[in-house]
Amino acid sequence: MNTTPVIETIGLSKTYGKTDAVCELNMRVMPNCITAFLGLNGAGKTTTIKMLLGMIRPSGGDAKVLGRQIDSSDESVELRRSVAYVSESQRLYDYMTVAQMIRFTQSFYPAWCVDTEKTLLRMYELPPNRKIKSLSKGMRRKLALLLAFARKPDLLILDEPSDGLDPVGIEQLLETLVSQCSTGTSIFFSSHQIAEVERVADRVCMIHKGRLVMDASLDDVRASYRQIDLVFNALPDEYELRMPGVERIESRGHQVRMIVSANVESVIERARAYYPSSTEVSPVGLREIFLDRVKEN
Amino acid sequence: MLWYKAWLETRARFLISLVGILFLCSYIVLHLEQEAVPGTLRSYYNYVLTEGYGMLVMVWVLAVTLLMMGGLLREHALGSASFTLGLPVSRRRLMMVRVGVGALEASAIAIIPTAAMCLIASIWGKPFSLSQNLFHLVLLLAGGAFFFAIALLVSSLVPGEYTAPVVAIGVLLLISVTLGDQKMRLFSPLEFMLGGEYLNRSSSLLVGPIPWVRAVLWVCLAALLTWTAVRVVDRKEF
Amino acid sequence: MFFKLNTSIGQPFYVQLMQQIRHAAESGALQDGDQLPGIRTLAEELVVSPNTVARAYSELEHEGLLELRQGSGAFLTIKRRARGLTERVQAASRKVEDLIHELHQEGLQDNEIWRLFETALFHRAEIGAE
Repeated sequence: MNTTPVIETIGLSKTYGKTDAVCELNMRVMPNCITAFLGLNGAGKTTTIKMLLGMIRPSGGDAKVLGRQIDSSDESVELRRSVAYVSESQRLYDYMTVAQMIRFTQSFYPAWCVDTEKTLLRMYELPPNRKIKSLSKGMRRKLALLLAFARKPDLLILDEPSDGLDPVGIEQLLETLVSQCSTGTSIFFSSHQIAEVERVADRVCMIHKGRLVMDASLDDVRASYRQIDLVFNALPDEYELRMPGVERIESRGHQVRMIVSANVESVIERARAYYPSSTEVSPVGLREIFLDRVKEN
Repeated sequence: MLWYKAWLETRARFLISLVGILFLCSYIVLHLEQEAVPGTLRSYYNYVLTEGYGMLVMVWVLAVTLLMMGGLLREHALGSASFTLGLPVSRRRLMMVRVGVGALEASAIAIIPTAAMCLIASIWGKPFSLSQNLFHLVLLLAGGAFFFAIALLVSSLVPGEYTAPVVAIGVLLLISVTLGDQKMRLFSPLEFMLGGEYLNRSSSLLVGPIPWVRAVLWVCLAALLTWTAVRVVDRKEF
Repeated sequence: MFFKLNTSIGQPFYVQLMQQIRHAAESGALQDGDQLPGIRTLAEELVVSPNTVARAYSELEHEGLLELRQGSGAFLTIKRRARGLTERVQAASRKVEDLIHELHQEGLQDNEIWRLFETALFHRAEIGAE
């Protein structure tokens, strides 16, 4: 099993004047996985991605993509041979037709798969001789995805890929992502659509105000994050219940609600010491975890 | 395919400029006859040629300035820069292709109209001199290289789809005005292109050997500016 | 066979998938020797990461319920002793129905019963995890 990360950042930073867009990012994205990159607008997702692809120069730190240094111009060109990048605000060349755009892009990638191109052309219903400027936003997005998938990249970086797509389009996109992953492509995508992330992602990296606040496997998160609702006759002090693993405690009246990321049994044992009249444990969805992480500080 | 892309991007401007200049030159050759004063030393052809070239130079400089608008900064304004920069090509290569295509197109809109003028003159039985045309062409291309590079530099510094051409034309005017002064004539690329120094006022002929040294100097200056533009784009953040 | 993966229960998808395959084997929906869809096919059908399917299959192979044959796919292999499981599950199903009936008699609503089961199972899972 290949364990060289497809993306590895060590202390990666980008500062604009006094603001830290990205701060000391230490992130590892593993191969043959679907990794989601969650964060609010302006949290540093796009800045990070652009640094990885050589569009922005880091202020500090280091990073490698597919084993190549991002700050070397030559290596950056090399790594881009096996990477595809699609972003929400990206536009293609309006003056080209769909067919011209495909031929143009194909010329840079020897591993271009004509089967994938033809399959997606059919699935997305793209008219080959129409100029790109007269395509709808959704069609343009689909063309951008076709150009990314057909080049059979080792790493696919997507920035809000479902933006501009209707529910059918989103479903097709997720199916294609899964299919690409099965054939060896590693996928790194940023998204606001938490429902989609929950379905297909193997791992989740969360970024908030330029810093990494979570880097975990979704399986682990699902298995270990819990919400504990307790009812006490005599409410203990919040700090009595606080221990490693407790992410948040809120009390109202006789009720206490805790969000716990680990050591659920120990937390329950501790709570038991105060004789709760009711204990309820339930799972926590990714949306709640995300909002919880980004609301603090 | 980068050449193909650069061609598609400049195709319209190139063809419009070429056709426009061809019409202009044909008009000059065929109609400015009235302006010439027959029976004087100011012979028809030379007068037409000099006046024609004067207009050609002005229009050519404007056309090439607009032709060289584009590149990554314009793509950034339009939104496609993140796609282009995601391709496995260096920024340097992108620039050099643009320079290559631009240089070919700029040369074409100098050479083709010149050849057309000769052709039209010969068809209509007017005398023409190949060596004079060559002289004019060398002056135009060498001095023009400078304007070519200035336009390239502006397109690499000024962001925005419409801002860059406006600034480029502004710079053009600035150069023409500041270097148009009598004392600055030696440093004016426009004056070099118009051949003022080499023109015999009475015969309207360019005299003397072609000033290769000065021509090469102008081209070197253009190369320096081009290299600067490449460096600017190298360091840009998108 | 049909699968359903739920994001709102606190179990990793591969665990849910494993349980559903086991349940299918126990209830007879899947017979000994039946072939399960390939990893890629199932991943695309369910629209989940292929790693999820791969892990579920691999764990079940480890348990002895599945046999992964190179190139042909995943096949169910129900060992003799596992057959008894079907009867046990059916008996348990009857017990659960009786209990629910009893709780209804005591005036409990469906969703209250559901929550009690969930809490008890999670708590057990947590304690059992030690």
